[in-house]
Amino acid sequence: MDLLTIIYLTYSFISLYFLIFYLIIYIPHRKEILFSPKITKEYTLSMVVSCYNEEDSIGKVIDSLLNSDYGNIKKIIVVDDCSKDNSWKVIQSYAKKYKNVIAVQTPANTGNAAGAKNYGAKFVDTELIGFTDADSYPAKNSISNMIGHFDDAKVGAVTSLVLAENRSKFLEKVQVIEYKMIVFMRRLLSFVGGVYVTPGPLAIYRKSAFDKVNGFDGENLTEDIEITWHLVKEGYVIRMSSSARVFTIVPKKAMVWFRQRIRWNMGGIQTIYKYKRFFGTRNVGMLGLFILPFFIFNWLLGLTGLGILSYRIGRTILVRYLATMLSIDSNVAVATFGDINLTPSILVFFGIMTITMNFFMIWLGLSYAKEEGKRDGIVRVLLYMFFYVMTYPILLVISVFRVLTGKTSWMTK
Amino acid sequence: MIRLGDPRNAFWEAFLLTVIVFIFGLLIGVAVENSRAGNLEESYENSQISLIDILTLDSVSNLGNLSCDSLIGSNLEFADKIYEESKILNNYDNANKISNEIKLVYKKYDLLRTLLWSGALNVQSQCPDKFSIVVYLYQREGASVDEKASQSVWSKILGNLKEKQGGNMVLIPISVDSDLSSLNLMVSRYNINSYPAVIVNGNVFTEPVSVEELENYLEGKSLIQLN
Repeated sequence: MDLLTIIYLTYSFISLYFLIFYLIIYIPHRKEILFSPKITKEYTLSMVVSCYNEEDSIGKVIDSLLNSDYGNIKKIIVVDDCSKDNSWKVIQSYAKKYKNVIAVQTPANTGNAAGAKNYGAKFVDTELIGFTDADSYPAKNSISNMIGHFDDAKVGAVTSLVLAENRSKFLEKVQVIEYKMIVFMRRLLSFVGGVYVTPGPLAIYRKSAFDKVNGFDGENLTEDIEITWHLVKEGYVIRMSSSARVFTIVPKKAMVWFRQRIRWNMGGIQTIYKYKRFFGTRNVGMLGLFILPFFIFNWLLGLTGLGILSYRIGRTILVRYLATMLSIDSNVAVATFGDINLTPSILVFFGIMTITMNFFMIWLGLSYAKEEGKRDGIVRVLLYMFFYVMTYPILLVISVFRVLTGKTSWMTK
Repeated sequence: MIRLGDPRNAFWEAFLLTVIVFIFGLLIGVAVENSRAGNLEESYENSQISLIDILTLDSVSNLGNLSCDSLIGSNLEFADKIYEESKILNNYDNANKISNEIKLVYKKYDLLRTLLWSGALNVQSQCPDKFSIVVYLYQREGASVDEKASQSVWSKILGNLKEKQGGNMVLIPISVDSDLSSLNLMVSRYNINSYPAVIVNGNVFTEPVSVEELENYLEGKSLIQLN
């Protein structure tokens, strides 16, 4: 057996392991995916919305929160991070109109979302503190579907089902599928204590837990990942509510999408580096035993896959190019049917098995995030599976390069 | 399957199930590969008998009772047969990733083809200017990018040549990876330093050339006397 075959088989084994792992979690919990515990106690809650240059959406976000069916939202604190557009005027108009909307402005631009959120948190004195991005619209019943989880004293935070709001262009439509898959996988991971992020569009924290970890890390590009790992390290459990839907604006343009994904990856690298000493350790719960290894393994898997694919494609292109030049010189056909070898190998068998299982997981994930009147076409799913996902390891390589060269400045949308 | 409240079981259960599925997959793969090798072994047994038959014929030809046409015809027929078998062998060899059974079959076929080459040279010496011998020497494993490209083109060139010449030439592809002493000895007489290499009636080519250019050497059908 040659080295490449060994690498392929190892890669197939790891891919299969993750897929089987998700299936093993899914099967006994399939009826609980959309479950949300009923509200037994109406905890006091304050919502913090940080805003920077979001004049087009901030009003609608505040409206969504005002429209929530949860009856104990004491304050909606909207933090303007010294926007250069009319966001502050919009926020002030809401504050004038609604008593529970509080408009605050940071003394100076904080330079990142964490800074604005932490500033807003200073004005919170309720049992729970929630955060929404200034371009994300929680559904009416989202918050009430999250509250019941806090009856468990170990719960430090509850995250929601983030879906794409805008979906007219191709890039937006593919992200719709991506977001649905992310939340499905995250829901499965919540059953094993493996939730590794409480995304910005909508997350609620126990205020005492939030204070214990000193809020968000202002140095981190993905403060929502960092705070989650910090909470888990402190022994808190993170839950996810699949019935708490929040719709967020996703990038429409490739360059904006690219910068967002680089930021996510760089933030992930920063967070791994910050918590690296807990890898494999038991005394920090699932952070050391699962979250860190899971993150790192997934990235290694992606990078290895990229490496193998690049090598194979590169070699094939080179051989074909040279063969074409020689064929032309020798006056023979450049390609013939004899060049195609349809004899399948064991690697093809594993590849087909992995792809089939992947497809099944995607189908499952999409079925749990179904939206009335909206369908995810098969072509889009295939493009997501075979092309969109291929960008992940490339983005990771670029992110690693940026981190290593010290380019860690905040990259806004 | 999972005891609620003890999520870590999921990791071990998934690992165990993956190992089972993986081993099952490997076993199927090994079974398929061995089955292919088995089929080829059968073909090889038949080819071996045919070759012994031809070599016997070649030795009997010294008695003077056999025509060149019969000798050449039987050699050609045999060469064509194992040429077709070698295409299947090639495909299987590319697809087999785990077991080494095919490699052994490959080695046996290389030996068979080396014997055919030797026998064909013998017949050619007895029946000069009647047919051509084209031997294609290539690397099955460890070929560089250049060598792979070159081999791919040579395969097409020789395929076209064989199609054009039909019964006028014996085409014998032999991989040089099998480390056969007899093959190494035969090859050493041509001072070949790189592969792939094609020997047309004793003339060596290492860079791909056109079919027409090769045909010039076929028409001459000159035989380089081996020392």
